[in-house]
Amino acid sequence: MYTQALDTAINANTTTVTVDSFQKTFLERIARDEKIEPQDAMPEAYRKTLVRQISQHAHSEIVGMLPEGGWITRAPSLKRKEILLAKVQDEGGHGLYLYSAAETLGVTRESLVDALHSGKAKYSSIFNYPTESWADIGIIGWLVDGAAIMNQVPLCRCSYGPYARAMIRICKEESFHQRQGFDIVRSLCEGTPAQKALAQDSVNRWWWPTLMMFGPHDSDSPNTEQATDWGIKRISNDDLRQKFVDVTVPQAKFLGLTLPDTAIAWNAERGHYDFGKIDWDEFWRVVKGDGPCNAERVADRVTAFDDGRWVREADAAHAAKVALRNAQVTATV
Amino acid sequence: MSTPLAEAATPLFEVFVRSKQGLDHKHVGSLHASDARHALTLARDVYTRRQEGVSIWVVPSNAITASDPALKSDNFDPMASKVYRHPTFYDIPDEIGHM
Amino acid sequence: MTVTELRLNVVSDATLLTLADTCLLWGHRLSEWCGHGPALEEDIALTNTALDVIGQARALLQLAAARRGDGATEDTLAYFREPDAFLNVMLAALPNGDYACTVARSFLLSAWFVPVWASLAQSADRPLAALAAEAVKESRMQLRHASDWVIRFGDGSDESRRRIDAAFAGLLPYCDELLGTPVDGTDQAARTLAWRATVQATFDTATLTQPISVVYDANLLNITASESRVTLLAEMQSLARQHPGAVW
Repeated sequence: MYTQALDTAINANTTTVTVDSFQKTFLERIARDEKIEPQDAMPEAYRKTLVRQISQHAHSEIVGMLPEGGWITRAPSLKRKEILLAKVQDEGGHGLYLYSAAETLGVTRESLVDALHSGKAKYSSIFNYPTESWADIGIIGWLVDGAAIMNQVPLCRCSYGPYARAMIRICKEESFHQRQGFDIVRSLCEGTPAQKALAQDSVNRWWWPTLMMFGPHDSDSPNTEQATDWGIKRISNDDLRQKFVDVTVPQAKFLGLTLPDTAIAWNAERGHYDFGKIDWDEFWRVVKGDGPCNAERVADRVTAFDDGRWVREADAAHAAKVALRNAQVTATV
Repeated sequence: MSTPLAEAATPLFEVFVRSKQGLDHKHVGSLHASDARHALTLARDVYTRRQEGVSIWVVPSNAITASDPALKSDNFDPMASKVYRHPTFYDIPDEIGHM
Repeated sequence: MTVTELRLNVVSDATLLTLADTCLLWGHRLSEWCGHGPALEEDIALTNTALDVIGQARALLQLAAARRGDGATEDTLAYFREPDAFLNVMLAALPNGDYACTVARSFLLSAWFVPVWASLAQSADRPLAALAAEAVKESRMQLRHASDWVIRFGDGSDESRRRIDAAFAGLLPYCDELLGTPVDGTDQAARTLAWRATVQATFDTATLTQPISVVYDANLLNITASESRVTLLAEMQSLARQHPGAVW
């Protein structure tokens, strides 16, 4: 499960809330921690922001099945094969819960999927990096899912009821994902020197992209304030990122892995770990579609969707035939 | 890129799961399926992967008639004044104990 | 043989491996769909089948490994045997093809597994009987899932009809081998009758008319199936074999 703070695409005019009484009442409801439900009146900008965020989140789950899915057939033990299969399946389930939540806002799944396939919709950039070794499966679970959980736990308290409920369900399932990842990495670190080397190489490649998952610095996230007022965002990008670094550094130490950042050091004054500068050029490059696997991932989804079209059509055709027959039977009785 | 040909939407179903014998069915989410029978089998795979249920209902989403949120206060506020319906409205002397 | 005699039979290692290898290879094929299913809901549903079947393979391989007592494990049996040593039925190894082929294979195999497990659930071999008693529930769900799709495809659109006809035309020739595969302690003739009844009933509902008995060239089929198995295992075993002795 993976979100990235992708709230960078909000149109500037959606961030200015006209302070008429409706908007004011709406914000007061949210301030009181009242949940907003599908049938409730809501500002159009709130609805649009949610549709975008929830669908990006759903797309991330679905695209996220691909980099790990490629290792199911090569998993090095039957136990790992089963676990990975169940994990990737869960991601499909999470995508489904989220599409369902988005649909309560008056959009169809077809239109959302279409936006993904045409390249209009974004998904978490982390999936545009390749999975080069089995260790990546462990590292993705440990770091990427770990970062995602950090992003997602606050969303369980999101102001929009269906999204919050989907997130509760997802977070419950998600902790297995991080643990299985940690378990893989641990087995590698306690294994042969070759296995350990695989793990270290994988951390080297995934550490920085994982930190980027939390999104741009707060100072570069102009929409954070609006999302916070709307109860869609609870904790800022930088705070979440810091929290992630703080819990992960000791875990890496336990595993005997070196995080690829010489600036990492405990800062007693702040009570946090300091860490180095993120390469934001790389971040924006990948977000804008120029990552190592952007084209491949979307093409993979489009192929699966197109190959499945005749199946969905047959399903609908059969259901229509059965419905017609049932109607005829009823009519003649 | 995908063919622009728009596909007809697959019907949406709401899924209700009874988590254990003796409890109510509870709404857990929705899914798309060609018909109710198919929706039921898919709901098992989608919503009970961790033994979350012992029974499933599926209902076509468009078969649900909901109360109007605009009428929320008219509908439900009048009940607020009927405090005498609640047992806590009445004082029971301590000597009587539990009632 | 009487029922009592059947119960006394000990299931051979060959039978255990036949079942285990069939589940393993079939499960591997099913797992290839994960993330690429024709619809999200169906992707999740099919993966449940894959998980069931791989789980059955693991349980059977554990039994087989325990019997050997030479330090063998489910993983040494799965990852370090040569393709020739696998005893799977041929149908299990074939590539997935389109969704019609995938569904047709699942249908033909689960229609066979339901009576196999039902019989083995009565076996005197306690661990195997316990395993079979669980597996038969999973196989019944798989059969239901697959036969629902056979019916949808047969009685759906023109294209799906064409595809499911082609799928069965390609796979039915492998069923002679499937039905002829002995499973110790079970009644092969009764199973064949049950299988034919199941298949025919679904074909009728699906309005499929092709005969379920097909004349075939055993040699040709064998070559295709064993080549598929070699490719499948080359992928499955690749990583484990790069790190012999490693613990994962």
